Amino acid sequence: MADSADRVERVVREALKIACPDIGAVTGSTHLSSELGLDSAQVMDMIMEIEDRLDISIPVAAIAEAHTLDDLCASVRRVAGEA
Amino acid sequence: VSLLEKFAPLAELRGALAASGSVPSIATPMDEVHSATEAIIDGRKVLLAGTNNYLGLTFDPECQAAAIKAVQTLGTGTTGSRMASGNYAGHRALEREFAAAFGWPAGIVFSTGYQANLGAISALAGQGEFLLIDADSHASIHDACRLSLATTIRFRHNDPENLARRLERLGEDAKRTLVVVESLYSVLGDRAPLRELVDATRRHGAMIIVDEAHSFGMYGPRGLGICAELDLLDQVDFVVGTFSKSIGGVGGFCVSRHPEFELLRLGSRPYIFTASPPPPVIAAARAALQRLLHGDDLRAQLWRNIERFTAAVTRLGYRTGSKDPGPVTALVFDERATAIAHWQGLLDAGIYTNLMVPPATPAGLNIVRISLSAAHSDAQISRMVEAFESLSKRLRPAA
Repeated sequence: MADSADRVERVVREALKIACPDIGAVTGSTHLSSELGLDSAQVMDMIMEIEDRLDISIPVAAIAEAHTLDDLCASVRRVAGEA
Repeated sequence: VSLLEKFAPLAELRGALAASGSVPSIATPMDEVHSATEAIIDGRKVLLAGTNNYLGLTFDPECQAAAIKAVQTLGTGTTGSRMASGNYAGHRALEREFAAAFGWPAGIVFSTGYQANLGAISALAGQGEFLLIDADSHASIHDACRLSLATTIRFRHNDPENLARRLERLGEDAKRTLVVVESLYSVLGDRAPLRELVDATRRHGAMIIVDEAHSFGMYGPRGLGICAELDLLDQVDFVVGTFSKSIGGVGGFCVSRHPEFELLRLGSRPYIFTASPPPPVIAAARAALQRLLHGDDLRAQLWRNIERFTAAVTRLGYRTGSKDPGPVTALVFDERATAIAHWQGLLDAGIYTNLMVPPATPAGLNIVRISLSAAHSDAQISRMVEAFESLSKRLRPAA
């Protein structure tokens, strides 16, 4: 499911760009909160952007342990049934 | 990072907020309170325009007398849960009075408004069920979802189509879903499109609970709230509210058109595992509820105040968080420093308001929130308007 994984990561990065327009380089291990400084409201906005773009509903608990970009992509793939 | 080191950013935020003056803008110390609209802060008499005392009932003589009598006859506290020794006649009567006011068969009183949401929502939706909540929900709703074992999904703020899309995705599970919304959001003062949200909910067979914390007492016939104003009480399943705003006390309630709601007493942890409200609190709430239900005079004064104040700040070029005038007016600023300067300038002019900054606000907005009351006199509203006229010359309203 390489295409799906790529698509999820692309959408997550697009959503991140919307939530945090001035963002610099981000790797998979970049910490969303401590490194990018995203607050909980920005993360929520980002999640809803991902939901709309992928047409899925992401339960709050599904992303509770997602601290990095890779974590978030993995959580989204699980919800989308692509992991 | 140790347990305590993680609080360092909060210390920075507190420092930034305190740097603007001698009085902190959060947890502002009230030295004395003289009336529903006047207090002493930092040794100075101030006009209160940042409370939730919408009907001014904290100093209503009948409410005060009822509380005093209850203390004298029933004592200062119940020392027990409603499920144990804290189930007094007054608690039961107040529940009947709330349910009767709505014309519904079920009503439960909780010890705080926070617990009303916690107790109702966490018990109504459990494991294998779903909670669909507005993204800008109050902390009590978010915490209720954490306490519940239901799957929680957010939808975009005040967006019925976004809600409908999520209900569609749930398919048959929509019938095991509780939609949670507020009728009036307290940070920006914006109203929910309730009719459309209720339509989407019912179309998919879900249930809906509406938090009327900031609208109960001020909207609709007899002040019953925005659901009643829109004639939606035959379509809404549960209404939740608080005593700490228009009722002028502390506590909360939830009423329902479903008689089964009464059974929630046996399954709601925030209802069961806490002391019931003290007798004076219940007695004052009962008196306040009757005053509220017969309070068209209070509502008329409040809405006169709202119209005058809203017209003035709009004329002065201030940006507000909602196009609908209401008891909460949020002045929105792009820059935190401008918001802080306004809050401090108002306090210097003897007017207490609320300063709200990210992350406690939606969309990263910097807000000075003004809450009006029926207890504000025409002269007090004039004082507020004059303060803003003076401030707007010194500070750019839109910045």
